[in-house]
Amino acid sequence: MADIIKCPVCGEGNAADQEFCQYCQSRLQPLTGPLKGADAPLHPGQIPTKKVTAELEPILPQWLRDARNKARQSAEVDTSQAMQQQERIIPPNASEPDLLAGLRSQSRGDDDEDTPDWLANITGVSPKQKKIDSGSSEARRVELGDRSDFAGNTGALKESIPAWQGNTQEASSDTEKDELKDWFRESSGLEGKKDDVPASDSAGWSDQPVSEPGSFSNDQFVPAVSSSDSDSPDWLKRMTPEEDPGNVPSWLSSDMQQEAKGESPSSFADPASGTFEAAPSSADDVPNWLQGIDPKATSAEGVSSDDWLKEHQPKPVEPNLNRHTTPLWLKGNDNSAANPAEAETPIWLSADVPSPPAPPPSRDPFALDDVVPAFGDIPNWLKAAAPQSSIFADSPAEEAPAAPAEASGWLSTFKSNEPPPTPFSVDKAQENLPPTFTSDAFKDGGENALFTEMPDWLSSASPSAPVSSTPALSDSITPGELPSWVQAMRPVDTTSSARPASFSSDQTFESRGALSGLQGVLPAVPGYGPSSKPKIYSIKLQASQEQQSHAALLEQILAAEAEPVPITSFSPLRTSRTLRWLISFAVLVLIIGVTSLQTRIFSMPVAVPNEFNGALQVAQNVPESAPVLVAVDYHPARVGEMEAAAAPMFDQMMVLRHPRLTFISTNETGAILAEHFLAGPLAERGYQYGNQYLNLGYLPGGVMGIRAFTQNPVITMPFDITLNSAWASAPLQGVTSLSQFAALIVITDNVDTARAWIEQTMSTRQATPFPLVVVSSAQAAPMIQPYYDSGQVTGIVNGLYGGAIFEQNNAGRPGTARSYWDAYSLGLLLAMSLMLGGGLWSLALGLRDRAAAKAGR
Amino acid sequence: MAFSPDIIVGLISFLFTIVVFSYLIGDNPLFRIAIYIFTGVSAGYIAAVAWWQVLLPRLVIPLVTAPMQEKLLLVAPMVGAVLILMKLAPRLAGLARPVMAFLVGVGAAVTIAGALGGTLIPQLLGTINAFDVNAAAARGVNLFEVMVNGGVILAGTILTLIYFHFGASARPDGSVRRFGFIEILAWLGRIFIGITLGAMFAGVYAAALTALIERISSLVNFIGKLI
Amino acid sequence: MRVVTVVIAIAAGILILAGYYFSPLKDVQTLLLNWALIFVGAAALVGVFNLLFVHADKIRRREKGSVYSAFLIVFMVATLLFGIILGPEHATMKLMLDAIILPVEASLMGILTVTLLYAAIRLLRRRVDVMSILFLLTTILIVLGSATLPFGDMPLIGTTLRPWITQVLALGGARGILIGVALGTLTTGLRVLFGADRPYGGN
Repeated sequence: MADIIKCPVCGEGNAADQEFCQYCQSRLQPLTGPLKGADAPLHPGQIPTKKVTAELEPILPQWLRDARNKARQSAEVDTSQAMQQQERIIPPNASEPDLLAGLRSQSRGDDDEDTPDWLANITGVSPKQKKIDSGSSEARRVELGDRSDFAGNTGALKESIPAWQGNTQEASSDTEKDELKDWFRESSGLEGKKDDVPASDSAGWSDQPVSEPGSFSNDQFVPAVSSSDSDSPDWLKRMTPEEDPGNVPSWLSSDMQQEAKGESPSSFADPASGTFEAAPSSADDVPNWLQGIDPKATSAEGVSSDDWLKEHQPKPVEPNLNRHTTPLWLKGNDNSAANPAEAETPIWLSADVPSPPAPPPSRDPFALDDVVPAFGDIPNWLKAAAPQSSIFADSPAEEAPAAPAEASGWLSTFKSNEPPPTPFSVDKAQENLPPTFTSDAFKDGGENALFTEMPDWLSSASPSAPVSSTPALSDSITPGELPSWVQAMRPVDTTSSARPASFSSDQTFESRGALSGLQGVLPAVPGYGPSSKPKIYSIKLQASQEQQSHAALLEQILAAEAEPVPITSFSPLRTSRTLRWLISFAVLVLIIGVTSLQTRIFSMPVAVPNEFNGALQVAQNVPESAPVLVAVDYHPARVGEMEAAAAPMFDQMMVLRHPRLTFISTNETGAILAEHFLAGPLAERGYQYGNQYLNLGYLPGGVMGIRAFTQNPVITMPFDITLNSAWASAPLQGVTSLSQFAALIVITDNVDTARAWIEQTMSTRQATPFPLVVVSSAQAAPMIQPYYDSGQVTGIVNGLYGGAIFEQNNAGRPGTARSYWDAYSLGLLLAMSLMLGGGLWSLALGLRDRAAAKAGR
Repeated sequence: MAFSPDIIVGLISFLFTIVVFSYLIGDNPLFRIAIYIFTGVSAGYIAAVAWWQVLLPRLVIPLVTAPMQEKLLLVAPMVGAVLILMKLAPRLAGLARPVMAFLVGVGAAVTIAGALGGTLIPQLLGTINAFDVNAAAARGVNLFEVMVNGGVILAGTILTLIYFHFGASARPDGSVRRFGFIEILAWLGRIFIGITLGAMFAGVYAAALTALIERISSLVNFIGKLI
Repeated sequence: MRVVTVVIAIAAGILILAGYYFSPLKDVQTLLLNWALIFVGAAALVGVFNLLFVHADKIRRREKGSVYSAFLIVFMVATLLFGIILGPEHATMKLMLDAIILPVEASLMGILTVTLLYAAIRLLRRRVDVMSILFLLTTILIVLGSATLPFGDMPLIGTTLRPWITQVLALGGARGILIGVALGTLTTGLRVLFGADRPYGGN
């Protein structure tokens, strides 16, 4: 299994060493190797390496390479053919409009060898079915015209049809050929004439080099030059004389006749110049391929000054569309004169009332003898591209008389002698014109059919049509491989299995409006709803498993490009759970043990800090029953430390001086913590709310609130926590401003809060000095020390250490610090030892790692 | 045994303490639940305090009971409070911008005045007054000690401020470095900053140790009560 | 609108500052400050309800950890209802403080002991320089000096070294930090009053 590679395109197994799939010729081995060296991706700022285009040839898909080869070869053929036909073909009038200029330009581009994907894919032919074209490459053409133009003698035309049209021919079924056969038989009346027409001439209208000469039989429209690659389109080549000799369109047969006479067929372009030739016309918009129309073949009206158009005066109209769609330039002058009905005015040219249908052509539209130097008719594909004014007239009957006047000069020559039938005339079109999308829609060869019916080379590209083998065609439109939109326009073939499913069985002719004459279209009647539910098309991408896997692989490759390269850095120190557990165990065991045992081993601190004395002084010297403002600004997390630090001082003050305490807090939980403080270690003092102490509650705003309270405490805090008027109560009796407080005690665990109280009350305390004592947590004490040193703070009680010292000055009351002290001291000693020992150990390890890193570098 | 509120509170407190201590072993769902419950209760309490002790006494009650003159003065804060509540809706959050601007302006002015008159000038004066020999003598401090201490404090202050000076210029070799003398002084200032931070770290540890002792003490007391 | 916000900020700041130095403007300063306190109270409500909405949205989206958010919302709503109805000083609220808020916060503070010790032990493993060594050495000395022995204070370290470190060495550094902070606060405030900084979204 390892030796077999599955082709990503067709799914067939191939040998592992094969570069291309043996079935579909798609590439199996990736061209791009690992992304390094020459294949390394480009980085920003890097100049890409110049590559020769030819070096990239191998990585192109097979179909593209084939198209390129074909184009090269066709270019060579074109060049040789151009040289040959240089003398015979009249150069086109540059001033004349050339409706096929687009096709010409396409054929002119020898470098344009690549068949557009859209064109290659419209046929619906799988890549497997594409064959390598050894012949010249043909550019794809989208022909708008009557399908019957190219129907019929497909066998005869096969040789002369270019390779790019070969595929379209392949798709044509026998049934389609039968339709074309009928159309050609009826409309052109070219049967029996088998003048040889140079292949290049026959293909001139499509301006494609014909790869297969001799696409027409001798009796029919058969390109004479068989040795060289003719310019006749494939559709022409397909028209075999044995199938329907009489189905050579007149426009084509007339050209062939013209060629036989030594004149350049007016319907075909000059291969050398790559342009279509047309009879000289004074009108500027006469395409070149129309320029060759014999001026003698003029309509009875003859309103146009353009010769070629005059030649194509509508002949007596026969009641069939085939008749109308036979191009005049195919029918030739003779036919146009003999069969005026055959001289057709293109539908898009004429807006006249529908003329009586012309008699069916007596010969195949593509018969050689019908090819006259002058163009007898406009090709169907051209009729389909007719100006809208003639096609979409609402009342063709009304517009028909006006059309001749409106039509331009060169276009008027297309008008038949009889009032040409408009494509959408109600009365006669319905009678005479066959259903637009029926198999024999173009039998009558009417003008309407020219613009409404599919050319053979397009109609044969139906996806449902079986693909017939056509040699030497790779990515051009094969016969029958029509784009989907073209297929949708195809007339419904009742006898053909290739009828598109989208066409309903409604064969009602449209009698009014722009679509008059057409069949099976949506009527322009308001309120009409679709007869059937429209087909639902999935918008999901239909990708096979192989395609998805390839896409995933591509994504991985691209993602690998975008992945950043990890930068080597020092490895982070991993968390040591064991160490953490050991520390936790040691600390918890120690503290639980000491606390449970309630030991009193360690002595209380003796060294009194300088800042402690100020606090002691305040506590001992506050006036009797003086109002003291207490700011409770610590969090519940530090209740134990703060209460242990502040309780001795308050206890001493309350015992000695009985102050009236007023609690306030810039912390949301401060008010309730004040209650907790008084109800805890100070419960023995028995202070009553509203008598000895008051709780003003929460002061919002931080520094803004402190400043506001400092400015005017009465307005800032009018109520206490019970929503009673605070400043009329006993604890605040006689107090209306901050300066009237005997002392300000700030209990805080936060440096910022202490700083805010110190800063905002500075001006008031400078005006009226009163002491400020800060009972702080051990963590805030170092940053509050400068304020004490600068004289802004009277005293500081520093955490449990300060509380312990104060307790010693308070006769050991309340005793919280004492109960905590042993555990506190042991905890500190444990921390010291762990930090010292562990720090030295970590220092040694760190130095070792550094040395190792240095050695490694 | 009757379950008094104290017992119930003690039991709940005990459970929460144990659950939080379980974090020492590792993160676990019980710990997370306890933390989320704590957050919810704290947030609910803060909202209740904000209503009862801020909006109700300062806005609602005066609007009801105060004289008309005072009521007129409360229209602006009432509108401002409503606009701030608009911040709950993303589309209307822009309406609160003027109120936020007012708060920022007021706060900036208050902090400017406080920093200038409450910290900057007094601290400078304090640094100068550290060399006040008379004041030191009045306190009974040795002159030598005053000079040494004053000098160290002054040096520490200056060197710490120099450390936070990050103005540098480009050198001929392309590097951007401070002036050489400044670099030396900044290195010395780093010493003082290290010492200060070390002192703060010790204080943080002491505070945390005290909190731990208090918690364990409460646990032991609760167990003792139960027993 | 942007100009209006900037004008409001600058005007309010100037009036407040003027109230510090001009007596007639003290009442205006008081009025504006009290307005600010009301706005702060409303802002606190906004913060709490925003927390509620965030966790409710987390539950609605069924994100990972939304079960915990359910606990938060339940207890928040319950506490809020109790607080709004009974008042924050009610006994029930005190029970909530004693049972939930206080133990959890204190316990979290307690386990910080282990974390700080762990960090101090591994400090020199990661970084060995003068500042780290001085930092650790100062910590050890202060911790050692704060503790006592059964027979009294720690000799020399507790009586002399520790006070000198905290009252002289650390004081110098702390003063420098405080002055620096004050200068920064001054600069930031002036930038706001000049309109150079617009943290309220006036850009």
